[in-house]
Formats: sequence, C-alpha cells, structure tokens
Amino acid sequence: MAAQLPDMTAATLTAGGQPPLPSLVSARALRWQKVSRALRLWVPAALLIALLFLCFVWPYIYSIPPGDSGSILDAALPPFSPGHWLGTDPNGVDIFSMLVYGGQVSFEISLAVTAFGMIVGGTIGLTAGYFGGWADSILSRVVDVLIAFPALVLVLAVAEVLQPSETHLIWALSVFSVPAFARVTRGATLTVRNLPFITASRLTGTSNWKIIFKHVLPNVIPGIVTFSLLGIGIIVILEGAVDFLGLGIQIPQPSWGAMIAKGQNVLTAEPQYVLIPSIVLLIFVMSLNLLGDALRERWGVR
Amino acid sequence: MSDALLEVEDLRVAFASGGREIRAVDGVSYQVEPGRTLAIIGESGSGKTVGCRAIMGLLPLGTAISGSARLHGTELIGLSDSQLRKHRGSDMAMVFQDPARSLNPTMRVGKQITEAIRTHRKVSKSDARDQAIELLRLVRIPAPERRFAEYPHQLSGGMRQRVVIAMALACRPKLLIADEATTALDVTTQAQIMELLLELQRDLGMALIFISHDLGLAASYADEVVVMYAGKVVEQAPAKRLFGAGGTVKMRYTRALLDAIPHLERAAHTELPVVTGRPPDPSMLPVGCSFAPRCLSAADDCAAKAPALTEHAPGHRWACWHPCENGGTA
Repeated sequence: MAAQLPDMTAATLTAGGQPPLPSLVSARALRWQKVSRALRLWVPAALLIALLFLCFVWPYIYSIPPGDSGSILDAALPPFSPGHWLGTDPNGVDIFSMLVYGGQVSFEISLAVTAFGMIVGGTIGLTAGYFGGWADSILSRVVDVLIAFPALVLVLAVAEVLQPSETHLIWALSVFSVPAFARVTRGATLTVRNLPFITASRLTGTSNWKIIFKHVLPNVIPGIVTFSLLGIGIIVILEGAVDFLGLGIQIPQPSWGAMIAKGQNVLTAEPQYVLIPSIVLLIFVMSLNLLGDALRERWGVR
Repeated sequence: MSDALLEVEDLRVAFASGGREIRAVDGVSYQVEPGRTLAIIGESGSGKTVGCRAIMGLLPLGTAISGSARLHGTELIGLSDSQLRKHRGSDMAMVFQDPARSLNPTMRVGKQITEAIRTHRKVSKSDARDQAIELLRLVRIPAPERRFAEYPHQLSGGMRQRVVIAMALACRPKLLIADEATTALDVTTQAQIMELLLELQRDLGMALIFISHDLGLAASYADEVVVMYAGKVVEQAPAKRLFGAGGTVKMRYTRALLDAIPHLERAAHTELPVVTGRPPDPSMLPVGCSFAPRCLSAADDCAAKAPALTEHAPGHRWACWHPCENGGTA
C-alpha cells in the first residue's frame, strides 16, 4: 500500500492542468433535493393561502348563497347541481357557503386562541425560564395544573355555564393553549439562557428586560412559531369537536364541526355531508402540520 | 501592597449538592496589579473558573461565598446584582471559552458591540457605531466597516473571539478575565489571540487574568502564575521563577503537569509521563494534602496533615511537605 502512494501522487501531478472535480452526488439527486425541499414548504403554504382566500376573499368577489338559510325548494340537492356545486343540505342550505362561512369561524377562533396563547403563555414561559427561582416554581406549578385539566371538559363547562358563543369558545380554548405555549417557551428559554452570550451580555451590564427582548426572544421565536402552526391545527380540531357536541358555534351559524355532526345521521345514505367538511378540515390541519415541519427543518429547531 | 487593582483574599465558594457540601474554592488569595498578567492554572474542576465567576457575581443564588475580593478597594463579594451591574463591563469584563456561543446568532456583531457601549455610556447611535468600528479595528479585524454589519455565523472562530474581546473592551475595563479564551481555537489562532490580549493590555493598561489548563500558555504569556488543585492554591510564583532558565518548580503537582507536556528534545519512543488518577471528589476531600493520593513522592505525613501555602522564598509560595529539589527535573 505504502509503495503505491508516491506513484499515485506522481500520476495526478503529471496529468497536468486541473481536471474538474468529479461530483460524487449526481446532478439529478441534487436537483431533486432542491425541488423537494421547496415543495415541502410551498405546497402546504399554497393550500393554506388558497383556503384563506376561499374563506375570506371569495365571498366578497363572487356572490354565494347565504350559509345559514336556504330555500326548501333546493333541499338535499346532490353535488354538481346548478348554482350549488357542492349540493345543499336537507334544509336547502348551500354546502359550499357553509364551508366558507364555517371556515371563517374556524380561522378566527384558532388564530385568536393561538395568538392569545402565544402572547400570554410566551410571556409566562420567558419569565419563568429566564428568572428561574421562585418565579419559575410558582408559574410552572400553575401551568402544570392547567395542563393537567382535561381541556374538552373545561370547554364544555364554560359553554354550559356562560352560554355557547364564539368569544366564550375563544376564552375556554385559551385555557388550553396558554399553558402549552408557556411550557414550550420556558423550555426554549432555558436552553438559550445558559448560553455564554447571555452571560456575556449580563457581564456588560445589560438589564434583564433588555436581555430578554434582544437576546432571548429572537432566539426562541422560531421554535414558538413552528409550535404555533401545530397548535392552530389542534385548536381547529378541538373547536370542531365542541361544535360536533353542539356546545360551540350554534345553529344556524355554520361551522365545520356542526356540519359533520348533522351529517352523521345520514352517513350511509348521504356520505357527502360528512365527507366534504371532513376533507376540508383534513386539508387545513395537514397543511398546517406540514408547514410547521418544513419551517422547523429550515430554521433548525429541534 | 495597595497598588493592586484586584485583591482577592481567602475566597471560599461552596455549593450544596445532594445533601453534601462541595467546596469548589477553598481559601484562595491573589492580587493583580494594573498592566500585569496573572495566569490561573489547573485541571477541570480545580475551582479556577468558579473563583472568577464568584468575583464577577455570576454564580447561581444559594451559593455560599465568603472572603473578600476588592477591586480598587471596592468590596465585590456580597454586592447585589444591580450594584454589580455598575462594575461589570466598565471596571471588569470577561471573555469566555466558546466564541461560537458567546455571540447572539440573531444579531449583527456591530449591534452587539454598540449595545455594550451604550449600556454604560450615554452616546448617540452614530458615535457608538464609530466607537464599535474603532474597537473592531483595535482587535485587528480587517475591513471593520463590512464586518460591522455581519452576523456571527459569517465569521471564523478566531474572528468571533476577536469580536467577543471587542465587546468586553467596549467600556475600557480595568480588569479583563479570559476564561479559557483560547482553548476552543487552534494553536496558531490561539497564539494570535494571546498576542492581541497582551498588546491590548499594554496599550490600555488593563490587568489581565487568564484562566487555563495550559501551563505552556502560562509560561509564555503570564507575569505571575497561580496553580490550583482541588479548590486550593498549591503554588504561586512569578512565571520567570517557575519556568525561566533553571526554573524552580517546587510543588510536585506543578512538576507533574510540566512533565506531561511533550517536548521535542525528549528521547523518541519513551512513554510520556502522565499524572495518574483523577482529581479528588470535592465533596469528600482527604484530610491531608489533596494531591497526596496521586503524588509519587507522597509520604505518611502528606496524608496526615495538609501543608499550608507558605511563602518559602521571596514571591514564591507553595504548599508541599516534600518540595522538589532543583526544580525536580530529574
């Protein structure tokens, strides 16, 4: 072996010039990796944008039938009927309109709950994680208690006592999102706060709040944002479940969960009543999860 | 005596862990004059870092600290966090081991330096920017105007450490503590950074404490050397006296560390002497000399009673019952 080495070097040297480095990875593999990486981010993002457009912009551009009332003359039309391309329900309400208006409610509730959880839970998590000590002990115990509380039971209790409504639903579901965000933020803060640059910043005499906002927060935000995308998905499903149980958005205001609930009586005869909202819900939640995964991969969050 | 910038006297730091007391630092005293370099040498866990962190007030709450550390006559031990904040950065600063993690990855390096400047001095943003670029130039970063707007990941390890040093120097501290500041860098970069630190020290008249496990580094760059073992100072002397021609290392531990450094002139294929065993568990230190269990010259009296750190020769203290003769080169 050792005797061959000088030979090889001589050969490469006498070959002269600089031969192009042969690529070890085929060009196709490289191109495919780039494309699939882009697809993983943009396909779910495009689906979400399309859903948002459908729910919030479409009804203002094109006039669609109302989502909460219909004519008995149009009752129980099958999909692809003229004027009602997804058909109507037994009360004659247009299914596409119900999807659009129900989607608005789902978006509003899930975004409000997530934003509330992010701000309140994030503040709790940052404070607990950064200061540690008794602040951490107290806040973490409160969060533990909230997490241990069965979310659905709490939501049902709130709906029972305070009347079901969109606002009450947001508050009730926030009880679930706040501790989740607090935990995630606290964990991320703990990892960041022990890094030397935080100590270095303390050593230059920077105040604690300045350190939290300028040094800790920018470093925990990627983790919180990816988590919030997964969180939105969970909230949408929870909201659907509450509607399904009849304690969320009240009929005749449309919602995806209520549509599924109404359709289950005729599941075998008219499966589209359950299938259509379920598929939309599936696309919505799956896009959120896939987008969350893609961002996590890009930002290098755990 | 009182021309010292930092006087540390009988510093003790203890933690409670698992129901036992851990004495991380056990009665350490030293002083540093302005413009001088002190090297604190020791193995991992010998208390060298903990001692300096105690001075900077960086230890977690619930750590028992006693003794005194006076900076310009101001007692630092026992100050609250907000009282210490006035001294941190402006009077004393610290550079850490890992340059990759000593900078905020989400912030441009220039911003981090200007922030350090603006916490202590009321200067306008553009003045702070000029000062920051001046600092980058001071730590020999080429094209400082361009580097100012870059993120840490765009810089090499040595460059990052220069930025960290620039941040530490932002408010012209009188004392700079470099905690293993060159350990994570390769040898050539290490030499450049040490040269830079010494040059800055000369120009700015700072006192420099550098903590290291590298005796060679101490030999080349320090004025005074403190060797720590198991939380105690075991030998303390001017670097020249220890490592100069006809060096007179007295403490067996220092000798053992020196012997463990590979030399070119050592005969080929001979086994490199190592210090066998490991440092003692700080929660149950032996009654006698802590180094006795690993010491080749340990006698019965070593295990019976711990030798005190005494000034046996002018400027040279050591704690050993059986010090090396003739520097113990044999």
